[in-house]
Amino acid sequence: MSTKKPSIKGTLYEKDLYADEELFQMDCAAIARERLERGEIDRRTFLKALGLIGMLPAVATLGRDAHAAAGEVVVVNWGGPAVDAYMKAFGEPFEKATGMKVVIDGTGPLGSKIRAMVEAKNVTWDVCDTGAGTTLVLAKAGVIEPIDYTIVDRTKVLPEFAFEHGVVNYMFSFILAYNKKTNAKIPQNWRDFWNLAEFPGKRTMRKQPNGMMESCMLAAGRSLDKVYPIDIPLAISKFKEIKDEVIIWGSGSQSQQLFREQEVVMGNIWHTRANLLRRDMGGDVDWTWNEGCVAPGMWNVPIGNPAGKDNAMKFIASAQDPDQQIELFKAMGNGPANPAAAPKVPEDMRAFDPGQPENLAMQVPFNGKWYEEDYGNGKTNDQVSRELWLEAQAS
Amino acid sequence: MTRVLDQQSRYWLLVMPALLLMTVFYVYPLIQVLWISVTEPEPGLGNYAELFTSGFLHKIWWTTTRICTLTTILTVVLGYIVAFAMAHVRERQMTAMMFCILLTFWLSVLIRAFAWVMLLRTNGMINDLLMAIGLTDEPLRLSRNEFGVVVGMVHFMLPLAILPIYANLRGISPSYVSAARGLGASARQAFLGVYLPLSKPGIISATMLVFVFSLGFFITPAILGGGKVVMISEYIRVAFEETLLWGKATMLATSLLFAVLLVLAVVGRFVDLRKVFGAT
Repeated sequence: MSTKKPSIKGTLYEKDLYADEELFQMDCAAIARERLERGEIDRRTFLKALGLIGMLPAVATLGRDAHAAAGEVVVVNWGGPAVDAYMKAFGEPFEKATGMKVVIDGTGPLGSKIRAMVEAKNVTWDVCDTGAGTTLVLAKAGVIEPIDYTIVDRTKVLPEFAFEHGVVNYMFSFILAYNKKTNAKIPQNWRDFWNLAEFPGKRTMRKQPNGMMESCMLAAGRSLDKVYPIDIPLAISKFKEIKDEVIIWGSGSQSQQLFREQEVVMGNIWHTRANLLRRDMGGDVDWTWNEGCVAPGMWNVPIGNPAGKDNAMKFIASAQDPDQQIELFKAMGNGPANPAAAPKVPEDMRAFDPGQPENLAMQVPFNGKWYEEDYGNGKTNDQVSRELWLEAQAS
Repeated sequence: MTRVLDQQSRYWLLVMPALLLMTVFYVYPLIQVLWISVTEPEPGLGNYAELFTSGFLHKIWWTTTRICTLTTILTVVLGYIVAFAMAHVRERQMTAMMFCILLTFWLSVLIRAFAWVMLLRTNGMINDLLMAIGLTDEPLRLSRNEFGVVVGMVHFMLPLAILPIYANLRGISPSYVSAARGLGASARQAFLGVYLPLSKPGIISATMLVFVFSLGFFITPAILGGGKVVMISEYIRVAFEETLLWGKATMLATSLLFAVLLVLAVVGRFVDLRKVFGAT
């Protein structure tokens, strides 16, 4: 079953655009690659990091389409430096503890691939590194296993990020970033973001609604604890208020580019990219945790995975170890998912860790449960918001 | 007679491998796509009903048609001018022109789109220039909108228009125009009455090639349109990869295919398509 057949000739030239960094986990690998090139991290750290985020890529091409042998767990991430990093962080400890072999496959577990695999009953992956959005879509399609919380420890994650069909593997945030030079004042929150009179200039927001509709609700005057349930029509109409001044970002590097070229004065972007901007722009660009939306990266298990459901769950449980997660954080910037890791994070890095209690307190946690709920027309809130969000963008 | 048949079947043998390949890797998946579009989420034509009921789809189709038509017209007109020049300059100049055209043709669409962003953005080169020479006081909005998308698409499509038109123009003997001129036609009359009609097949094949190609665009609109110019193929991608609504995605893909066939059918009523595609 071919899921990505380049049928129209145009794709011959266009296929690369949406490739690499559209998902947060792909973006992390891209960032690590850049840091390696600048010599900010050494190769070992880089590979370690890649391994940690489940993205053993270049090396991982070797392990591509790995077919699971008996006693082997295939973990799929987004390739690049993440392949080695995941192996070192999560793979090796698991091998030591269980005697099972871990193979990191950097192919990239796109939702469409997982669905095609499960429906063709030809599943070669055991554990997939996806996002909250993908998890919701796959759960709705009925192709991933519920997480077995007798094996995976619910107490080692934030309660919001223990989904029925997926569990958090690391955390990242959608935050308000701004250029101090091109704004007369510093925007403090999303109401300022929406205030075109006092803060004129273009803004950037993401193509997908997750993390964006939350900021719409806060701009509409809801408090952090009242963001959910999101009033979708209200969120959309808030977006339309400023739409003419919004440029849409698709990939993490694109959001960074918009700031670098000073095409925008502020934006709702990933905190990892905002960090890079603060550094690269000589402090011109800064950002705040205030009213950010902290979101989970997710582990998924496809139905009918070769190693068996239990082994996949055991791997996930093993990767809940805080020290392993901190290693990943150091190299790739994705915050540890286990709250127990927070006090162990080196002090000079705490400002960038979305999971530090003081940072968490300023943010709203992404609420997967709400997204999973029925909107009332047979579609989930997630499906409806994706459609309406895209519709609102189209001019 | 038998010899002819033999020869014919030999030809068929030569065609078979390609035909088989197409059947297995193209026709079969295509049928699958069609199948999904009428079976998911439930059997029936429910997905297709959306074509008529969904205002958003109407909007996207309209955007797609509008942008593709505009792109096609501009591309073919500009392409004709370049091809005309190429057909009338000396061999060496022609080679240089051909090289330049192919050079841009080989550049990735991504690079070209980003290059246009650099040129067109608010503090980009073009706006700086316009302001420096005093044509405008404040920067014009040249990118992150439909204007930018059309500029990027026309630039991408130009070689696809120039090449077939050029091939056609090369085949027109200069003696026709000379004869017309000799018989008293003005340069304009000779061009409009003799040369232009002779170049019709080139124009038509360029038009169709460009239009059909344009229908499938999504990268250029995504970048130069600032995310706000959503065309049909972008929506298919979203339905396929993000929302996993494959029924909808395949319905749109199938509709796009039929739109292309429809264009061919309509054009086919007026011109001999075999001639246009060089089959005769």
